[in-house]
Amino acid sequence: MKVNKITEKKESNFLPGKGITKITTVPNQQELERNKELEYYKDIFYQCGKCGTCRTAYHENGWPRICPSGEFGKFEAYYLGGKNLLTWAISTDQLKWTENLAKIFYKCSVCLACTQQCQIPEIHHYAGEWLMAMREEAVRQGYGPMPEQVKYTEHVMKENNPYMEKHKDRTNWLPSYIKLSPNAKLAYFIGCTTSYREQEVAIATSEILNSLDIEFRILDDERCCGSPVYMTGQTDKAKAIAEENIKIFKEAGIEKIITSCAGCYRTLKDTYPNKYGLDHGIEIFHLPEFLLDKMKNGELKFNKSLNMKITYHDPCHIGRHMGIYEPPREVLKDIPGIELIEMNRNRQNAWCCGSGGGVRSAFKNLSAFAADERILEAKETKAEAIVSCCPFCLNQFKTNIKNNEIMAFDLSELVRKAL
Amino acid sequence: MNSSKLVSELEKIVGDNYVSEEPEITFLYHYDFITAEPEGKCDIAIMPGSAEEVQEIVKIANKNKIPLVPWVSGINFGSIATPRRGGIVVDMRRLNKVLEVNEDDMYAVIEGGITWADLKGYLDAHHPDLKAGVTWSPPGTGVVPSCLCYGMFDLGMIGGTGAEFINGLEVVLGSGELVKVGSCALSNLWYGRQPLPDLAGLFIGWEGTTGIVTKMAIKLWPKLPFRTDYISMAQTMEEGVPMMLKLSKAGLGIIDLCIINLGWAQSLFCFDSKNLAIDPIELGLADFFGIITTQAYTEEQHNAQCKAIEEICSEFNVTPLTADIQVKNFPENLLGIMHHISPSTGGQTPIHFWGCWNFSRGGGGEWIGSYCSTRNILKYYQLSRKVCIKYDNPPQFYSRLMMGGHYCVARTNINFNKNDPEEIQKARDCLKEIHEAVQNIDGVVMYKPPTWAVEHNKNKTLPATNTLIKKIKKLLDPNDIMNPGQGIEGE
Repeated sequence: MKVNKITEKKESNFLPGKGITKITTVPNQQELERNKELEYYKDIFYQCGKCGTCRTAYHENGWPRICPSGEFGKFEAYYLGGKNLLTWAISTDQLKWTENLAKIFYKCSVCLACTQQCQIPEIHHYAGEWLMAMREEAVRQGYGPMPEQVKYTEHVMKENNPYMEKHKDRTNWLPSYIKLSPNAKLAYFIGCTTSYREQEVAIATSEILNSLDIEFRILDDERCCGSPVYMTGQTDKAKAIAEENIKIFKEAGIEKIITSCAGCYRTLKDTYPNKYGLDHGIEIFHLPEFLLDKMKNGELKFNKSLNMKITYHDPCHIGRHMGIYEPPREVLKDIPGIELIEMNRNRQNAWCCGSGGGVRSAFKNLSAFAADERILEAKETKAEAIVSCCPFCLNQFKTNIKNNEIMAFDLSELVRKAL
Repeated sequence: MNSSKLVSELEKIVGDNYVSEEPEITFLYHYDFITAEPEGKCDIAIMPGSAEEVQEIVKIANKNKIPLVPWVSGINFGSIATPRRGGIVVDMRRLNKVLEVNEDDMYAVIEGGITWADLKGYLDAHHPDLKAGVTWSPPGTGVVPSCLCYGMFDLGMIGGTGAEFINGLEVVLGSGELVKVGSCALSNLWYGRQPLPDLAGLFIGWEGTTGIVTKMAIKLWPKLPFRTDYISMAQTMEEGVPMMLKLSKAGLGIIDLCIINLGWAQSLFCFDSKNLAIDPIELGLADFFGIITTQAYTEEQHNAQCKAIEEICSEFNVTPLTADIQVKNFPENLLGIMHHISPSTGGQTPIHFWGCWNFSRGGGGEWIGSYCSTRNILKYYQLSRKVCIKYDNPPQFYSRLMMGGHYCVARTNINFNKNDPEEIQKARDCLKEIHEAVQNIDGVVMYKPPTWAVEHNKNKTLPATNTLIKKIKKLLDPNDIMNPGQGIEGE
C-alpha cells in the first residue's frame, strides 16, 4: 500500500451551502415511491432515534439551527425526530389522533430543511412524504385543516383564491400597455399572491416578457393552483382544483406556462402529475430558469447598472422541493452593479421565511418568528435588499420588515429595472 | 397536589408554552427510542429557561415528592434518561447558550442544555482557533450529560473522559438549593477544580440523581495547524491492538487512538443485514481498523511525528494510510459514513447515527460499554465476539485509548429492530450475556449502565462503599426525587 504524505491537499466533503447532504446508496437500500399514503412508509418511521441531527445544518461556516417549527415550539414534537416517532406511534396505535396532535403537524411550514440534514437515507429522501400524509390523515380523522385554513379553502372553492378577494378582480393589476397575445400557446400563470398582494411582480414579469418579444397570454379564467389547499392535507379538494385548471389550460390550447410564483411552479410541475396522476403534458417554467435560458442564448441583455448589494433567499418550494438553487443566482449575478452576498444559511440549508404550509394563516406567531429570523440573517450580510423569486416569501418579508431596515424585492423587479 | 394544579404551578414558573402533560408531547420522553430497555412514563414535560426556573421547579417537586428527570436529548445506550417512576421530565434544551469563552485558560462556560452541535457551531463562528471534542454520538446530544456520564470524544488520548474536561459546575440540588463547585465557587474564573475538595464528584457518574447541572465549564483545546488522521488495517485484532498500545506510549502528538473491528466498520460503511459478514475472521476478512490522529504546531514537527507513527506501525507489518486515501480503497457505494470521517474540517465532522443504525433497519441499538485496563482490550473483544456470534449478531467492537494510554474504553454494540418484540428480547438476552462475560475481566466497569447492570456493581463493592453512596444521595436529594430508579444507587 502507498503511504501518502501529509502535505497532500485534502478534499472537502462539505460543499458550499450544501452541508452533508450526500447520502451514498447502501447495498439493498430501499427505493421508495413518493406521494404515497401513510401505510406505505410504516416501516421507516421508527428508524429514527430522535438523534437531533435534523435540527442543525452542518457546513464549514458554523453549524446553525435549521428548523423554524422546532426552534419556535421547542419541544421534541416540533422537530422532525419527534414527528417521525409520533407518526410511528399513530401507525402502531400507541397514540390516538387528537386536536393537539394535528396541531403539531400543522405547526410546520413543510420547508424540509430537516430532511436535508438527516443521514438515514430513507428519512432523508422521503420524510416529506409522511409529513404530508399525516396532514391528509388529520383531515380524514376530522382534526385538519386548521380553522383559518378551512376558511380560506372555502373561499378558494368559491372565488378561486385564498385571499378573500373576488375572482372578477384577479386581473385588476393588468396595465393597458401590456401587450398580450390572445391566441398564444404560452400562458403567464400569475398565481393568487401575485394577483392580489404583490401585483408589481405581475407587472414586472409582463413587462419583461414584452421586452423580450415573447408572445404570451393571461388566462381569462385563471384560478388558484390549489397549493394552499394541498399543503394543508386536503388532497381531494386540491385534486379537483387541478382537474379544473387543466381543463382550462387545455381548452385554451396552452402548451407552455411561465409562472413567477414558486408555489404555483411546484404545484403545476410536480404535484399535478406526480401526486394527482394528472399528466397534463404542458411545459412548466419558473421565471428565473426561463430568463436564464434567454440570457444564455443572448436574447436577454441588461442595459442598466443597479449598484446594489443584495442577498438571495431560497424559496422552499423551488429550492428543497424542486432542487432549483442556481438559476436565480445566475440571473441576479448577471445584472450589472449587483453584488450578491450569501446568507450563512443558503440553498439546501436556507432558513424558511415561515409563510408556507398554511402556517401564515393559522399560526401567525410562528410565521413571524421565522420571518424575523430570516430578516435578521439578511441584515447581517449588510445587503440593502433581500431578493427572492416567490411572491409569498416577498409578501412575508414586506409584512415583517420593520422601519425599512432592509428592502425586499422579487427577482423580476430587479430584472425589469436593469433592462 | 393534583395534576392540573401542579401544571398550573409549573406554568407560573416557565410560562404555558413550556409545560405540557399532553400525550403527544410526553410520549417523546417516556422512552429513549433506541435501546432494548423497558419504557418508562413521563407525566409532565417542562422546559425551564434559567437556573432560577430550575430551582423553582425542583422546590415544587421536592415539596410534593414528585420525581424529576433531567433531560437534554434522551439519547444514551443505558436508557438512563428514561423516567422510571413517572413524574416530570425537565428538558433543559432552552438553556443552550455558550456564556463565556476564556481563550487564555481555554475553557467555555456553557448552559446545561447545550448540544455538541451548538457548541461546535459557536466555537467555529466565534473562536475558530479553539475546539471542543466531538463525540461519536449524534451532534444533537447534550454536552453536559455526556461529560457527567463519562462520555468521550476525539480528544480522549490527551484529555481522558468527558468528566475530566469539566472545570466546574453550577448545580441545583434536590432541595432546590444552588451550588457551585470548582474555581468558580470562589471567583469569576472557571479554570479548574483544583485546589479545593473536588465536589464535582458529587455529580459526575451519578446519572442525574444528585442534582441538575445548569452551568458547566468545559476545557477547550487549540486547533493546531498540522493534523493527520490515519486509518490503519490489520488482519486480526490480535495483530493491530499491540500496535495501538505501543503508539499510546510514544507521545508523537497523538490526540486520538481508536480501535474498531470490521463489525463496527461495516456499520460505518452502511452495510445492511443482508450484506453483513457476521464472522469476518471465519471469512478471512481484515478485522482490525485503527484510527490514529496526530497534530503539531509546525510542519517539520508534524512530518517527524508521522514518520515515527509509520515506523511503529511497520514494526507490526501495518501500513497506515491517511483517512481520505484509505476510504478511497472502499467501493464508492459502500463508503457510507466514512465520507464524514475524512478530516475535512480538522477531523471534526459529525459522526451521525445512521451508519451504526443501518444493520437491522430498525433503529434499535444498545451496548455493553465499559472502562477497563488497556491490558484487557483483546480479552474483552474475544469474549463479547463469542457471545455476539452465538446470537447471530455481527460483533461490533470499539475501543479508545484514553489519557495518554492510562486506561481505555471497550464496548460492544448490538443493533435490533425496535418495532419487533422478538428482536428486542433477543437483544436483551445477548446484552446480558455479554455483560456477564466481560464483567469477569478484572477492571471492567460499565458506564452509563442500565438499572440491571447497576445491581451487578453493587454486589462487587464493599458494603461500606454502598453505605457511603446511600448517605451522599440522601444528603443531596433527601426525598429521592432526582431521576429515581436510575444511577449508581439503582432501584
